[in-house]
Amino acid sequence: MAGKIIYRGESEMPFSPVSSGDMTWNRTGTWRYIRPKYEDKTPPCNAACPAGLDIPMFIGLVDEGRYAKAWNVIREENPFPGVCGRVCFHPCESHCNRAEYDEAIAINALERFVADQAPPLEPGSPTQERREERIAVVGSGPSGLSCAYHLARMGYGVTVFEALPRPGGILRMGIPSYRLPKDVLDKEIADIQAYGVEIKTNARLGGDLSFKDMEEYDAIFLATGAHVSRKLNMPGEDLEGVGSGLDLLRDINLGKAVRIGKRVAVIGGGNTAMDAARAVLRLGGTPLVLYRRSRDEMPAFDEEVSEALEEGIEIRYLVGPTKVIGNNGRVAQLECIEMELGAEDETGRRRPVPIPHSNFSIEVDSVVVAVGEEPDLTFLPEDIRIQAGMVSTDKGARTSRKDVFAGGDMAHVDRTVAHAIGFGKHAAISIDCLIQGRNVKGVLPGIQVGEGGTLSMAKYLSEVARRRSQHVVTFDELNLDYFGHAERNERPKSPAPERVGDFREVSAGLPEQDASREAARCFSCGVCNGCENCYVFCPDLSVITDGGMVKYRINYDYCKGCGICIAECPRNALSVEKEAK
Amino acid sequence: MKKVVSGNKAVAYGVMLSRVEVISAYPITPQTTIVEELSRFCAEGEMEAKFIKVESEHSAMASIIASSVTGSRSFTATSSHGLALMHEMLHWAAGARLPIVLVNVNRALGPGWNIWTDQTDSLSQRDTGWIQLYCEDNQEVLDTIIQAFRIAETVNLPVMVVLDAFFLSHTSEVVEIPDQEEVDRFLPRFEPQYPLNPEEPRAYYGMVPPDYYMEFRYKMQKAMEETAGVARRVDEEFSGQFGRTHGLVEPYRCEDADAVMVTSGTVTSTSRVVIERLREDGINVGLLKVKMFRPFPMKEIKGVLKGIEKVGVIDRNISFGHGGIFAQEIRSTFCNEDERPTVFGFVMGLGGRDVTPEAIEEAISYTLENPRPKEEVIWIGLKR
Amino acid sequence: MKKIHIPEEELMGPGHLACAGCGSPLGLRLALKALGRKTVVVIPASCMSIIVGGFPYSAVDVPIVHVAFETAACSASGIRASLDMQGDRETTVVAWAGDGGTFDIGIQSLSGAAERNDDFIYICSDNEAYMNTGIQRSSATPYLAWTTTTPIGNPKERPKKDMMAIMADHRIPYAATACVAYPEDFLRKLKKAKGINGTRFIHLLTPCPAGWRIASDEAIKVGRLAVEAKVFPLYEIEEGGEVYTLTYQPKGIPVEEYLSQQGRFRHLTKEDMATIQENVDREWSRLLGKCDGRAN
Repeated sequence: MAGKIIYRGESEMPFSPVSSGDMTWNRTGTWRYIRPKYEDKTPPCNAACPAGLDIPMFIGLVDEGRYAKAWNVIREENPFPGVCGRVCFHPCESHCNRAEYDEAIAINALERFVADQAPPLEPGSPTQERREERIAVVGSGPSGLSCAYHLARMGYGVTVFEALPRPGGILRMGIPSYRLPKDVLDKEIADIQAYGVEIKTNARLGGDLSFKDMEEYDAIFLATGAHVSRKLNMPGEDLEGVGSGLDLLRDINLGKAVRIGKRVAVIGGGNTAMDAARAVLRLGGTPLVLYRRSRDEMPAFDEEVSEALEEGIEIRYLVGPTKVIGNNGRVAQLECIEMELGAEDETGRRRPVPIPHSNFSIEVDSVVVAVGEEPDLTFLPEDIRIQAGMVSTDKGARTSRKDVFAGGDMAHVDRTVAHAIGFGKHAAISIDCLIQGRNVKGVLPGIQVGEGGTLSMAKYLSEVARRRSQHVVTFDELNLDYFGHAERNERPKSPAPERVGDFREVSAGLPEQDASREAARCFSCGVCNGCENCYVFCPDLSVITDGGMVKYRINYDYCKGCGICIAECPRNALSVEKEAK
Repeated sequence: MKKVVSGNKAVAYGVMLSRVEVISAYPITPQTTIVEELSRFCAEGEMEAKFIKVESEHSAMASIIASSVTGSRSFTATSSHGLALMHEMLHWAAGARLPIVLVNVNRALGPGWNIWTDQTDSLSQRDTGWIQLYCEDNQEVLDTIIQAFRIAETVNLPVMVVLDAFFLSHTSEVVEIPDQEEVDRFLPRFEPQYPLNPEEPRAYYGMVPPDYYMEFRYKMQKAMEETAGVARRVDEEFSGQFGRTHGLVEPYRCEDADAVMVTSGTVTSTSRVVIERLREDGINVGLLKVKMFRPFPMKEIKGVLKGIEKVGVIDRNISFGHGGIFAQEIRSTFCNEDERPTVFGFVMGLGGRDVTPEAIEEAISYTLENPRPKEEVIWIGLKR
Repeated sequence: MKKIHIPEEELMGPGHLACAGCGSPLGLRLALKALGRKTVVVIPASCMSIIVGGFPYSAVDVPIVHVAFETAACSASGIRASLDMQGDRETTVVAWAGDGGTFDIGIQSLSGAAERNDDFIYICSDNEAYMNTGIQRSSATPYLAWTTTTPIGNPKERPKKDMMAIMADHRIPYAATACVAYPEDFLRKLKKAKGINGTRFIHLLTPCPAGWRIASDEAIKVGRLAVEAKVFPLYEIEEGGEVYTLTYQPKGIPVEEYLSQQGRFRHLTKEDMATIQENVDREWSRLLGKCDGRAN
């Protein structure tokens, strides 16, 4: 019953005023002077994630119990949810808008939850149309494997060259099992291989393989990481019993027997130092961490430091080593000096200044040096430009040679697993642009997440994903009337006394009920999650839902532009624009 | 079956035999016994109907408008102030084209309170679009109610059946009460033209813009214009089935009359006696009973009064600032005719003042003796 | 994620004539979802009688009977009587009247029907003034609110009539307040009402942007503020006016937050706001006393 009814004569009319049509002929859309539109915006967590994860999307799926789909959403950007869900420093949580309401969402725990639900992929997973180009990836750490994964999904043939006997890079060699169990890592590497990625281990560039061997590939991605420990350059550093944190962790992770003695001094304040100390503890030693600045300046993740302290590890702040004193060629004592904090250095942290005449010595059986890592650049050909101790790359991850790209710790100062994964993806996109003849600089702005530079593969591959506005939604842009306070659900951890005896995983995952409750706390800032407030509150039945999540449109024939949908969207997923006249 | 019943009880019988489904009424003297009888019929199972004991006459009419549009044969009764209170809804019922039947017991309007017979209450509603039928005796009351539903459901206009307070309402007469089966044969089930049905939803009586309002009113007028013919056919059919006829008008001894008196209601009965007597005395005077007031049966009246020089209209009502209402209607019936009778308008019997044979004779004498009325409104029986 | 669940079927269409952002057609749309297709709606003179469209159209997919201003309740009684006589006990009769047609001109008819316990659901869509005729005061207009007949120099000194108390005193089986900003609460009450025989009364707050002087996107927000400020508590009265139950625990925000949103209260002084807060608190205490610890 639609359309205008016109009676030309009384004989056509009923004898009393009885209706025979509806009002759909009356297109009240002409009343508007502003119009609402669905416009997803960027949530702060998404913008803060160096891997560009679409966090509200995956959390929304967890809320709906659709774990497999959530896993796929994560893996649109990041092939390592199980890894990241254990080791990431979760800047997403630091930027979470919910923190201003009660507590940030336990995003990291939810990512792990999703990964833990996913079964292994069958080999031969579907990719886009198979391409004939082949790409070489050097290094099977998080950056290299991320690049390989994304390239393989785009249809390219990828071969990863790994110097060590097992793949994984820092994930396997640097992070101990109590933080990242090896089976979790193995599973996620196998899932990458399921896309047809070939990994050649014991294949060292600069060893058996030369750079020339790489040149037969259509492009090369260098991601060998930063695994050369910095030296303190103090006397006695080459005595027996003095080693680097990285070497210690690698040996443990390769299953080698490790001799460390009882008293072990661990020098440094980063994650490697924390990992080394906690590993030492588990091997039966007594670690003593010496850090030259105070707790506030420690670069290690907060949780790492807390867990170490819970485990009873002693950290001495404002202490620096001066020399190692040996006995029969083996370390016996470590001489140290006390520090105080002076002016800020180039990293913005206050510089440690030795306090004169405050030297003291401690008895030690081993010394573990963990004061930073550098990339090994010795295998690179001369035309690959180096700057500030790293491979120099442009915004497109390109080196000075046209078809050679670099990323991860070897090319950037931001050295976290999440960053590495993000850089690998960035390179994959850039390689695809090169091969497809696209100008990567023109592509990048449209696929950024927020304004930060993190890229989204979903945006690269899908026009629909690119519609998400890059405006980052702030707390005051939300409508909080639809939320109630709820406590954050934390994942269980083994109590410290129980966990220090071995390398079993310290954290457990969130139980399903808790994950569900936690997912329900997510505001989904800027991203429509199908709450349907717009549909419920439209007085003019002008919000059409096609059913299913995130499928709404405004019927502009009738929408009067009242704006209720915009006002009642809890998460600012609608925007207003002036009506074109 | 013959029974001795009051006018109000005859109403109740008429309503029961017509298988009314929804009744909604508020008591007012002298209508109350209608309501009480119907209540008793329903309670004793003689009648299957819903009786809504509303809290005012306005609600009474509103509720049966609603029940009628929903598809039930509906009825109410009232009088005087009750009818006046219903006024808004009388317009609504007619505009809604609903075949409602209302019985109005003609009673005077206050102030001061007066419960006795007077026609001003029903005639004040003459513009509302209701068919109006005036009854002379209790048999006619019962018969008219049955016919009223037939007429209403044919032309889709509501019908007001009118009887005099106390002279009919509370006076018992012999009335032939027909059998239910007989009435069922005459009056089939009510089938609304636009049935209310959630399966085929419609809006009833929404806003009508200037584009269409006049056409609806035109249709009402046209329905009114057809009503006389419909009522005549219904009466003929009724006569054929039940052996009684009441017509739209009834001439009585109008042949070669020098004057014809026009009456309605119980005044007619008294007038018959007076006319009879005068005729015996050689005075050529006749009587025209008007039963149907709306639509005003101009054709029939012209037929009866053709060639009559003088017409004396007895109005038991008055429209202030003009005069008796039947008189106005008679005058306007002839205004464009080449031959027009002189119309004498008499007002008498207001507020239950007895209309005696002497009063009627006075009116007749005045009519016969004067070439034209000396006043627009001639008051008979007034205390001067 | 918290999602508002409402039935899917729409029994109303777009193209209707309500002002942009009006709470009333939203209320009707939601109500019809709870009531279903087998419903007849009685609409007396009100904004809604225009909103649904005039002859020959209707924006609503169930039968509507337009009736005179003061006759919503008795018309509903009449329809019910006829349906019963036709053997139809399935179709629900619902009256949708404004505050004018309920509190003032229609109160006699409503009182009569309620006293008889006639069987229908009566929903008063309250926008707190005679809005259809251009914002004149009704007895539902709140204390000190501006309307064209209570301008600033001649304010409304009388409090809002307590219609729920009046209905409770008629001993009807069910009465409830509701607000379009709380759809699930409203629909639950309607579904409950649908299962009860007799006169069921719902006092539904439907904010009016034009008359309350708020922006066209604020009706839901202001409706929520009314409830959270305890100005319009959500509760039920059952068992013939005996049992009072709160159906939503409001946050209890200061009434100023509610009043300051609306242009019709812009002229209020601090003292006025304090008086209103006192009134609200006193009424709230009284209601709590009647609820006597019963909360849903």
